[in-house]
Amino acid sequence: MGGEIQPLHGNHACALAAVAAGCRFFAGYPITPSSEVAERMSRELPAVGGVFIQMEDEIASMAAVVGASLGGVKAMTATSGPGFSLKQENIGLASMMEAPCVIIDVMRGGPSTGMPTRPAQGDIMQARWGTHGDHPAVVITPASVKEIYEETIRAFNLAEALRVPVVILYDQVIAHLLESFIIPDISEFEIVEREYAAPDDEDFLPFAPDARGVPPMVRPGDGRRIHTTGLTHAETGFPTQDPETVDRVARRLLSKIDKNRDLIDKFESLETDDAELLIVAFGISARAARRAQRILGDDGVKVGLFRPITMWPFPEDQLRAAAAGAKAVLVPEMNAGQLVREVERVLGRDIEIVSLTKIDGEPIEPPAIVARAREMLAS
Amino acid sequence: MAAGRMEIRLAGSGGQGLILGTRILFRALSLSGRLAAQSQSYEPTSRGGFCHSDLVVSDGEPDYPLVTGITYLIALDQIGADRSAPLISRGALVIADADLVTEPPKGDFRLCPAPLTGRARALGSHRVANIVALGTLIGVADICPAETLERAVKLDTPKKFAELNLAAMHEGLRIADELKAVAD
Repeated sequence: MGGEIQPLHGNHACALAAVAAGCRFFAGYPITPSSEVAERMSRELPAVGGVFIQMEDEIASMAAVVGASLGGVKAMTATSGPGFSLKQENIGLASMMEAPCVIIDVMRGGPSTGMPTRPAQGDIMQARWGTHGDHPAVVITPASVKEIYEETIRAFNLAEALRVPVVILYDQVIAHLLESFIIPDISEFEIVEREYAAPDDEDFLPFAPDARGVPPMVRPGDGRRIHTTGLTHAETGFPTQDPETVDRVARRLLSKIDKNRDLIDKFESLETDDAELLIVAFGISARAARRAQRILGDDGVKVGLFRPITMWPFPEDQLRAAAAGAKAVLVPEMNAGQLVREVERVLGRDIEIVSLTKIDGEPIEPPAIVARAREMLAS
Repeated sequence: MAAGRMEIRLAGSGGQGLILGTRILFRALSLSGRLAAQSQSYEPTSRGGFCHSDLVVSDGEPDYPLVTGITYLIALDQIGADRSAPLISRGALVIADADLVTEPPKGDFRLCPAPLTGRARALGSHRVANIVALGTLIGVADICPAETLERAVKLDTPKKFAELNLAAMHEGLRIADELKAVAD
């Protein structure tokens, strides 16, 4: 398979990468435009001794993934907006139980059933805040078939290293795109395996963290009995409402993100050094922005492009650095203005920030970005 | 071979093999070491209605993977031609089915009416009009060598139809020769 350039489908890239990363359990409920992930997993997993289950619904799919993860395997599901909404409670459960898992959300037009076959980028805030309460969130937004492959592997690595659910968000365009790809040798990638607690440690507490803030997991079959619950629990695993303990364990859950930004952060900053105008975009909109940047560049207009690859936690310092020399910032996105809010939060009011939104079910095209950029530079 | 960004579209109605057509061409370009992105209508059009399948070939790092200005259009019927006309670039090559596109698009581009479906039918099946079209395209335009397209056709179509599909491709190359003879 490897070596030669071949056309590869975005959703198939996700499935192939998941299996390469060691995923051996998939539970899902087919939903456009993510179904090809499940379809490919149903063929790939049995061949490597894994388990594929088409569940009765989206909620059960997420519950099965949490259960499989605690049962000792790398686990994943794939969905789109309506299913992502249904999964939110169990994504919170995965956060609370610290069950490593990967959730693919292929974004389509919303809200509700919306437009199943049309692209959108409207789930970025839901991916951060969809489940209730303060919870750690790692969300990755790849922009090409190659990046879907690479970032799916990284998502499993982050999930296992930090014991968190990791969400991969991409849109219908990239999901259904076939792009030139050379299937890499998996030995080129670092694959993170789950860290298990030593079975003979008498002082063992199942939720006592290591230096990175992450408790080693209990390997099923090692003989330990542990209690896992969605209730706020002490290091023992049992529920508590003792304010001091609650504060400590809740902050420790969140600290897994802050302490590990070196592993989590990823972004692309292109030609930002002497750019008058900075474009901030992700996914297919970033691909349109890259084309716009080249069209403007051919006319001698210096435009920078900042693309979060890890969307959450948001790359705040990196964005500030990219915008340092710019006079204005343009944020094209296929929603009514979600990313722009984050850009405004980070960059404040001292710089002009313009939002370019599209919610008609069509991708933002390069000429629209070029036109808005020219208007901004002329004013 | 042609360098730079190329935007190739097969347009027509659902069921004409438009997606297979661009995927075969994508395979051929892959075999030639070129980078591309292929997309298509994503609607319930597989049993009729306007459908298109696009191939954007890049020179260097790929950026926007969707069509913004078509440089090569194959229109297998009228609706395919009509709906794609606004996207045709200046100087593009447009191959339109001579029977099914009765009112070809007009503009600052090269129009080649070609008997794609007619010749396919003469070979035994109108269903290979897509492959006739690919042969015509690579015969007229410098996109990839015929031998490479032939390999791709063999790789991406069922064995039991290999003979018919290869005959269709060569028929397309003959149409290209005829078009060139007329142009000369």
